[in-house]
Parts: sequence; C-alpha cells; structure tokens
Amino acid sequence: MIASFLSAAAAQLRPSVVGILDGTDRGESGGAGIAWGKSGLIVTNAHVATGPDVTVVVADGRRARGEVVARNTRRDLAVVRVRELALPGAPPGDPARLRPGSLVFAVGHPFGVRHAVSAGVLQAVGRLPRGFAMSRLGAAEWVQADVRLAPGNSGGPLADATGHVIGVAAMIVGGLALAVPAGDVNALLATLQ
Amino acid sequence: MSEDSSTLLALSDQLADAVARAGTSLVAVHARPRLPSTGVHWRDGVVVTTEATIRRDREIEVTLPDGARASATLAGRDRGTDLAVLRIPEGRLPVASLGEPSRLQPGHLVLALARLDGAGPRAAFGAVAATGGRWRCWKGGEIDRFLQSDVTLYPGFGGGPLVDMSGRVQGINSGGLSRPLATTIPVETVNRVVAQLLERGYVPRGWIGAAMQPVRFDDATGQRLKREGGLLLLAIEPDAPAAAAGLLVGDVIVAINGERVDHPEELRDRLDGDVVGRSLQVELARGGAIVARDVVVGERPRAGR
Repeated sequence: MIASFLSAAAAQLRPSVVGILDGTDRGESGGAGIAWGKSGLIVTNAHVATGPDVTVVVADGRRARGEVVARNTRRDLAVVRVRELALPGAPPGDPARLRPGSLVFAVGHPFGVRHAVSAGVLQAVGRLPRGFAMSRLGAAEWVQADVRLAPGNSGGPLADATGHVIGVAAMIVGGLALAVPAGDVNALLATLQ
Repeated sequence: MSEDSSTLLALSDQLADAVARAGTSLVAVHARPRLPSTGVHWRDGVVVTTEATIRRDREIEVTLPDGARASATLAGRDRGTDLAVLRIPEGRLPVASLGEPSRLQPGHLVLALARLDGAGPRAAFGAVAATGGRWRCWKGGEIDRFLQSDVTLYPGFGGGPLVDMSGRVQGINSGGLSRPLATTIPVETVNRVVAQLLERGYVPRGWIGAAMQPVRFDDATGQRLKREGGLLLLAIEPDAPAAAAGLLVGDVIVAINGERVDHPEELRDRLDGDVVGRSLQVELARGGAIVARDVVVGERPRAGR
C-alpha cells in the first residue's frame, strides 16, 4: 500500500529528473539532474558536470546538449541550461521544516539503472556530527538521510513525502546519504537573475 | 493534495512522531575516542548502552537531549550480552517507554535511533526481518529472544534503541552482534542484565569447574547402561563444585536433572541465568554402572580478579 503511494510520488517527480553525461560523451556513465522549480534550469552536482557542456538525457530517452551556466564547486553544485527542451520543474522544498524520521526518497540512475527510486528517512539537517567524517565535510550543512544511494544518484533529487525537492544527492559518507540543501541551490540560482 | 500524497505524508508524520517521542530519552555517550555512541535512559538515573562502545571506565560523559552534558559513572558491563549500564544524575530526562518485543513479527516497521550530539535524534528506517526464541550470541551471553531487522546501524547507532511505530523501545541495537542484519538485544534481556549489573556490577555465570568432551560408548557398554554416550570428564579443578560433589576424572556425565546430555553446550546452557547456588542432579557412568551426584553450581571465577 505504502509502496504504491510512494511510486505515485516518485512518478510525479520522474519527468523532472534527467541523466547528465559529462561533456558531449555519448556513454552511459554520469549522474542525474533535476529541472528546478520555475527556473527553467537543470541543477546537478559540480562533480557530475565538470566541463562547459553536458549531454542531458530526458526520461523519454531524448537527448540534448546543455550548457553549464553556473557552478559552485565548494557546494558541489552546477546549473545547466538546455535550450531545446522544456521540462516540468520539480517544486523545491525546505529540509529545515522536516523532522528526523520523516520519509524521504531519491530518484536517480544508480549504476546506470534509469530513474530508480530509493526510499528512507531523514536523519538530520545541518553539520555532520563531530567525529563522523573529514573536517572538510563537517564544516558544511547537509541534508543527511538514511537512503541507499549509489554512483549515478549524484545530482538527483532527494524529496519529501509531498514530492518537494529538499536536496541534491551528492555523496555517501559512513553509509549516510548527504544532499546539498535546497536553500543553497536557490542561492546559486539567485546569482543568475 | 491527492489521496496518495496525504497517505504518504501521514506515514511520514507518524515516523517523525515516533522518533520525537523516543528521542526524549536518548543520550549521546562519550566513552571512546572520536564518535560517541548512543544510550537509552532505561530507569531514572540509569542509562543502557552497548558494552563494546565503552572504551574507558572513567571520565565518561553523556549529552542530554537539551544539549547539556552530564557526567556518568560505569555501574557495570557484561561482555556476553554486549550491554553496559551507566549512572547519570536523576530527574534530568524522561525514562524510555518500553514495548513488548514478543509482539513483533517479520515485516513490522521499525526505526533505529541514535543521538550523537545535542542536535536531535537520528533515525534509520526498516522492517523486522526475523524473530525467534532464546539464543546464545557469539560473545557468549544468552539472549532471551532473536530479533533482527534490516535497518542500517550507522556509526554511533550502537547502544541506541530499536523502536516501533509508536516510539516504544523494543531493545538495544548492537553493532558488534550485527552482520549483516541489525541485531537487537530485546527488552527482556536488557531488564535482566540491568538488574544484575546494578546489583553487582557484573553478570554472574554458573560454573562447576570441570573440563569435558563428548564421548560415545561402545555398543556393549551402551546396551548395558542403556545410554549412548555423554560428557567425559578430563580435568577437575581442586575446590571446585564438581570436586566437592565427588566427581572424578574419567566419569561420564550422561544426564542432568533427568535429561540426557551429549554436548558441553547443553551443560553450559544450564549454567546461565539465575543458577548460582542451585543444585544440578548429575547422572554419571562410572566403572560400568550409573551413579548420581548433586552438584551445587558455583559462580564462575572472573578473569583478572
């Protein structure tokens, strides 16, 4: 029962989630990206889009060239513009309004499996606990979640039970999924206005 | 909002409520380098955690849910069941609401919780994977009930509770006993061990002071004694309960309290729990005949004492 409700929520998000291949590479490696709110832009990780161009793969299989128009490597974010495609934007949410234990889910392409959904719960929003990880990670704020991620989820959405995107999946530390908070994405997009 | 998303949201809220409720009785335990472990406020002034996460006996502190630190003293530890008990100041936080693990079945939704600092409880979500009866874990202790779930025990989650969907604590999660699934030491075992640790600082285990190995009788002896085999006594410690009862090297224990024994584990099972000072009626094969002796169970000497 829960499974069907979750699949409905994930299906709603799916058209907004793309595959991102670095450069004009036609291979199948790479990460994910999200059409972000009303911005008309796609958000992904800086470590997924390392060059000036990316190939964007839409859920229906269409491909288009994307141009990286903004980047924040410290926060591992990149913003991509695709002129040929108009994708429905996923609504951004606010992770700070969620309590620990709230349901969250990720949509991405773990190990190349397209639009795979993994579900779990929110663990914390903020800095990593002291002693948990390298100090470089500890200084930044993260959405920390008990969700299984794998290479290919990078740059994809972490969403709450209402389908609002609360973070951009970025890495796994100590088995814990870390996502860049939606607020940092909004801040980067605001610099483009 | 659609029906789908409101149902999902209701489940999400229920999970967060359970975390918030149980989180009020969780502390972070600082008794090892780097990352703390988690402790559960089991009775007023008494915190339970896992034994393996207590790496020092002194200068232990806990972080309370309000972020304040309090000093804690080690009341006792039991390696066998991987449990340790700390005393903290009384009246500082609510006592955990305990559940009944006997009601849990595979498929029940559960959460593993942790507190690593003053920031809030942490949660991992999953389902009960397997349940069962009494078992002996590899650390040697007897656990009253088998309870495993597919939750991930992240660094620092050891010593934290497994809670149900209403936030009731079903037991203590042990990182050391968990591979690959998360193993929970159930409420019954924790209650038993906490009582013993508060009373003595350790869990007494029964002992008779004899070394033995399984043997099978040859057919003729077996037919004459109407037994197949038993436990051959190889050594008996002086002044030990076995010696006091008159057991001799070469005797073969064939039954205890009227039940046949074939393996040393079966004797060991009878030496766990509240048995020190009680009598075991031992049947021995000696010189081709069966003789009976009563052995009063002693307390196993503790290493390093």
